[in-house]
Amino acid sequence: MKLLNLTINGRKHTKAVSPSMTLLDFLREELNLTGTKNGCDKGACGCCSVMIDDKPMLSCLLPALEAEGAAITTIEGIAKGNALHPVQEAMIEMGAIQCGFCTPAMVINGVHMLAKNNNPDDDEVKECISATVCRCTGYNSIEKALHLAASKMRRAAHDGS
Amino acid sequence: MSSRVMRDFDLLLPESIEETIALLARHKDKSAVLAGGTDLLVALKFDYSIDNVISLALVPGLDELDFDPARGLTIGAKVTIADVLRSQDVKDNYPALWQAAQVFATPQLRNTATVLGNILRASPAGDCSAALYATGGSLLLKNAKGCRNIDLDDFWISYGVTARCVDELAISLHVPVPAQGEKSAFRRMTRTTEDLSKINAAVCLQMAGETCHKARVVMGCVGPTLLRLPKVEKMLAGAAVTPELLRDISNVVISEIAPIDDQRSSAEYRNKVAGVLVKRVIEAALNAKENDQ
Repeated sequence: MKLLNLTINGRKHTKAVSPSMTLLDFLREELNLTGTKNGCDKGACGCCSVMIDDKPMLSCLLPALEAEGAAITTIEGIAKGNALHPVQEAMIEMGAIQCGFCTPAMVINGVHMLAKNNNPDDDEVKECISATVCRCTGYNSIEKALHLAASKMRRAAHDGS
Repeated sequence: MSSRVMRDFDLLLPESIEETIALLARHKDKSAVLAGGTDLLVALKFDYSIDNVISLALVPGLDELDFDPARGLTIGAKVTIADVLRSQDVKDNYPALWQAAQVFATPQLRNTATVLGNILRASPAGDCSAALYATGGSLLLKNAKGCRNIDLDDFWISYGVTARCVDELAISLHVPVPAQGEKSAFRRMTRTTEDLSKINAAVCLQMAGETCHKARVVMGCVGPTLLRLPKVEKMLAGAAVTPELLRDISNVVISEIAPIDDQRSSAEYRNKVAGVLVKRVIEAALNAKENDQ
């Protein structure tokens, strides 16, 4: 066991972990942050996406100890209290959540894209969700949700300025 | 716990290149180096066990992605595919590499996977590896005894096997300055965009007007390693690249490759499309406008 220090959703954690434990297992098993899903466990489905130092990465392919000192955002850190993020609101409004298994990863990747660019074109939206497998929606409703979220964020930015 | 339980390994976190090399000298083939880990972790979960994983996470001096018009491009061991994709210098000077990075796996994997890891994996399907094989380059390897440079032409020995000794750390890759009139491109075919290539190809052509002086033509997924196509390169060298030449080249490709049936495609299909793909990648290189894309 080795000591791991990292920040998750703004909260600092220090915990002893096994060197062969992935970040995904650390989040789910040690911290009970089960919003991040284990789909294929080999980097193919995208369901375990989390933001590590502001970059979406696959937590199933990273030993937890590799994240020493990192700031991690999981789906549990996206809403502010009861206030959903515009991406989460739009996913609900567009019916983009069916079984929900891919949803945390779709939201993480959407939030990351829209934080950098709140006016994405179709290709950028497709690229953003390309790495996450959804077996329910056929992706159209997710694409529509991200466009809707983008317009919500543009409106908020406009109202705020 | 996870459904895939990895056999326990120790994660060693050296803090300098020297310390890393000392660990490699001590653990040799009982160790594996972790940079991005997108291949290694999958291997550790499914079919591979190793006692010591040597992480480069805390090792400084391996992040360099530097282009110098007089010296060429240097890619450090920790440079990710996403770093390459963000580089205007790569886009302007090494289009084949940039195009390979653009279609490489998925955004999340590009944020993690490294260019050198792609080379060291020695897969015949490596997209960035194919592009770099076409442009040419040499790896800087270091062990306790010192450094050596090895040309990519001599690096891949067979599937998953390279000329790296077990105690050597790959420090960086050096890609030469593009020659006058150099044009390069990368193309591939996949089932879905995030899938590994079922076949890929890269070319690097030195053009003077319509005439090609020198060519490096690389094809992937058609042999145990990435292959150069010497007959095609010879047909291009010194020739005007006409539609007739491209047609002849397209017909010759099949005699230079040895594809197999696997989960991503069949030998028959690969043989059928290989010539077309080589023709298209040459056309893509030639038709690229200045500052294209």
